[in-house]
Amino acid sequence: MNATAKFLRLALPIFGGAILLSSFLGGHRPHRFPYREAGLTERQAAAHLISRFSYGATPGQVDEVVKMGLEKWFRQQLEGSLPDDSLQKMLEPYDALKLNNVQIAETFPRNGQLLRMAVRDGFIDKDSVKTDQKAYREVLKNYMQQKGYKPEQELFRQLYCQKILRAAYSDNQLREVMTDFWFNHFNVSITKNDCAAFIPVYERDVIRRGSLGKFGDLLKATAHSPAMLYYLDNFTSSGPMDAAKPGNAGPRKAQGLNENYARELMELHTLGVDGGYTQQDVTQAARVLTGWTVYPMGENGKAAGEKMNRMGDDKLERQGFVHEGDFLFAANRHDKGEKVVLGRHFGPDGGYEEGMQLLEMLAHHVSTARFISRKLAVRFVSDNPPSSLIDKMSKTFLDKDGDIRDVLTTMVSAPEFWSAAAIREKTKSPFELAIGAVRSLRARIDQPFQLYNWVTRMGEKMYFYQAPTGFPDKGQYWINTGSLLNRMNFGLALATDRIPGVTFDLAVLNNNHEPESAQAALVAYCKLIMPERDLDQTIRRLTPMLNDPALQQKVNAASNKVNEDLAGPERMTTKETMSPPAPAPIAPATTAQVVGIIIGSPEYQRR
Amino acid sequence: MVTRRGFLKGGGLTLLGVGLMGGIPGFLAEAAASDKIVRPYKKRKVMVCIFQRGAMDGLMAVTPFTDTYLQSARPTLFIPASQGGNTSPLIDLDGRFGLHPAMQSFLPFFKDRRLAIVHGIGSPNNTRSHFDAQDYMESGTPFNKGTASGWLNRAVGLLGHDALTPFTAVSITSALPRCFYGDNPSVAISNLQDFAIQMRGNPAAAGKVASSFEDLYDQTSPGLLKDTGKESFEAMKMLQKADTRNYKPDNNAVYPNSPLGNSLKQIAQLVKMDVGLEIAFTESNGWDTHFNQGAANGIFARNVTDLSNSITAFWTDLSAYQDDVTVMTMTEFGRTVRQNGTGGTDHGRASCNFILGNDVNGGLVHGKVETLAVENLEDGRDLAVTTDFRAVFSEVADKHLHLDNDRALFPDWNGSNIGVMNSPS
Repeated sequence: MNATAKFLRLALPIFGGAILLSSFLGGHRPHRFPYREAGLTERQAAAHLISRFSYGATPGQVDEVVKMGLEKWFRQQLEGSLPDDSLQKMLEPYDALKLNNVQIAETFPRNGQLLRMAVRDGFIDKDSVKTDQKAYREVLKNYMQQKGYKPEQELFRQLYCQKILRAAYSDNQLREVMTDFWFNHFNVSITKNDCAAFIPVYERDVIRRGSLGKFGDLLKATAHSPAMLYYLDNFTSSGPMDAAKPGNAGPRKAQGLNENYARELMELHTLGVDGGYTQQDVTQAARVLTGWTVYPMGENGKAAGEKMNRMGDDKLERQGFVHEGDFLFAANRHDKGEKVVLGRHFGPDGGYEEGMQLLEMLAHHVSTARFISRKLAVRFVSDNPPSSLIDKMSKTFLDKDGDIRDVLTTMVSAPEFWSAAAIREKTKSPFELAIGAVRSLRARIDQPFQLYNWVTRMGEKMYFYQAPTGFPDKGQYWINTGSLLNRMNFGLALATDRIPGVTFDLAVLNNNHEPESAQAALVAYCKLIMPERDLDQTIRRLTPMLNDPALQQKVNAASNKVNEDLAGPERMTTKETMSPPAPAPIAPATTAQVVGIIIGSPEYQRR
Repeated sequence: MVTRRGFLKGGGLTLLGVGLMGGIPGFLAEAAASDKIVRPYKKRKVMVCIFQRGAMDGLMAVTPFTDTYLQSARPTLFIPASQGGNTSPLIDLDGRFGLHPAMQSFLPFFKDRRLAIVHGIGSPNNTRSHFDAQDYMESGTPFNKGTASGWLNRAVGLLGHDALTPFTAVSITSALPRCFYGDNPSVAISNLQDFAIQMRGNPAAAGKVASSFEDLYDQTSPGLLKDTGKESFEAMKMLQKADTRNYKPDNNAVYPNSPLGNSLKQIAQLVKMDVGLEIAFTESNGWDTHFNQGAANGIFARNVTDLSNSITAFWTDLSAYQDDVTVMTMTEFGRTVRQNGTGGTDHGRASCNFILGNDVNGGLVHGKVETLAVENLEDGRDLAVTTDFRAVFSEVADKHLHLDNDRALFPDWNGSNIGVMNSPS
């Protein structure tokens, strides 16, 4: 089989997912969700559904979902193939998002690498490196321009910004939520230099594309991806070298067995730490996966790449090599001996296929079914989901070949999903809070990076979680003294127009109804921002603030004076400067503060 | 079931004084009333860790200057200990090791036997990847990537009492560092001044808004948000009282205007405020000197100037607290013995670290450094690791913080310590 055919065989289940979906939807139409039995009205149920399978309701969305039908909305989200034209237009300027890994490696050399190349190409004298910071930066900039190189930071900026825009504006909300979920499950980190530049393609082609398919396909795609191969070091893992075979083909010199990927494959990706495997299984699985590495690319891989290209895929294949896109199975680095993992024998001489068999076995293991089901339930139902729910989901996982859509359908069709214990039990992550607030206010994002900075301040530095566990998905992790104050400050900053490039119009949001009184404004915005919640408490607590005439005066005085006092990042936006002091029954500044407090309120931190 | 912080156990009796500035913060009153736990007003021991990210060249910071192999391996990077050249010589510590001339401010501490140096320190895992080595050093498990918690977070759990305040373990960084990951309470703060409700451009409203928030969190249903809300506002009030914006260091201490200097200044404020700080962390960047690292002057010299002057300012500022504070530096690995083709050094194995405190066995260069002949080098190129970092970290943490069970700190390790701390008399 040639490489293309092999690539297709690997990729087909992923692409094919969308095509096969129609049959799935025909055959496995979810029954009516059992929310009435839990005492929820249809509107309450819609609000709950939206809160779990999207980044938050937009104003009026509860009505839309009720009108459409909850089950139908959910099916549409499972399908995840709404056109999203306006989002695509927004993403148009982000040119790096369209590149493949080879193009990225050629366009965004790493900083250290860049320096070496500049020295090699005679742009920088090696003795003057960094001695004169300014002149040196100029030369480097000049060099990059001439060569068409761009700073790696630009690649990452585009990565952060696209995630924010997709989460805020995609109509396929569940696909974005699942992309976040699986990315965190199969975590890789930008803090690891070797892996960082591969992350955009990893998220796009491996995670997002496979996010609503079959678990086994997703697992295999991650195992083949440069991001994962570098992050957990499998790219370097090799068995005893066979000197007779063709050179040291492959990107780096072999250094022997590396167990990191095999261990996390079992502990974090499939079976779970209590999944019933031993250290022996880890070592044996690592041997099965020796030779799984990255096809040489970019400046670092130049020599090896040329060598391999000269040999050609056919010749490589005859020697047992497999080249699929960025992936390389380096047969000469594979441990050919016999291995036993979880009682099953692999090899001898199993080559690439034994790795695929191992992944297949792990993907369908009963421990994996439970581990993945539980993790999904933690994300979508509660920090401590009932085991009765896990049982149902695991059964579907095993019966339906790890089909993620089927497992989610089982979950949302179960009474446990709608129980009082689940409603508003989850705490929003900082990202969910920021995006949810943008959606609540129908805000326009011109500078997504500003939101990235706020999400970082609130304790979730996107793509930077260093450990392969991913961010812990529990309220306890997200809520601590420092982060909670920052959540409140985020609400205030957003609502009072202090986040540059994120704008909205409160009057439009309220259909241009000018609230008759401060009290009416409070009630109106509470309902818009937190639909179907019990708002009595929040409203009662915020009312005195509105009725404090001294405060009104202070606020207005401060707003009018602020231009004279402030400079730099604290300057007012034009919009505020232009608007005259409001004679309305409630000052806009106060309304904005009320909205800020709503976003920072405990009720809004829950989903 | 998740453990809540100790100062919240005991339930709803902690009625806060109304108004933003009222009274003693609830958790302190509560802690003081409890007979089980140590009163937080009693000065607590504090361990301050500084991670030098990028891998410090230990052979340039503390040079075995009598070693002729080193001299020939580093034609332009070697700094002699003898006077006479155009540049400042090394500071001779003991006839064999010399401190980089830019670290002059450390010399008095070394002479006073409060500053110890461990040379040849590193990880048993020979990875030369920054990421992996930092990851292993911070998780404290050099062969296991999947360890979810960091060693400093585990240290919080071993203090022998519940965390008394939100400031038990503080990292002055923008994000929670790997060594702080875990279930024990710990917090990352990038700037103490940000620890407040902020109404930019409208301070008149900030107080009112803050009390609205406080009210909302106070009235919300019992649980995480309510508890943490209470803590947050109490913590905020403590910091407001201290006026962190106009902080004046004691003893005319002058902190370098650098990220490290500013971080240590904030840690000093927390120490002096007696807010229950026991474990502090911060970091220093720029140690990955592949190109023109310089010798007596240059990039490396600037880095060690900042490091030593920041620590010295911190120590001077804290004169009244020195018995309670120990500072320890760490870095993921060292650098090649031989200088490379671009006037720098590449990733190596062992480096050195610094430990400063009144209970430190100071005035000594601990550890073992062989002559740097090729046959003595690890993989024929690097200073060999002769002291496991866990030996030193666990000894400092155990002796200074009196941990209940230091074996849990580094689960896979059962070696012995090297005597870098004084035994309690």
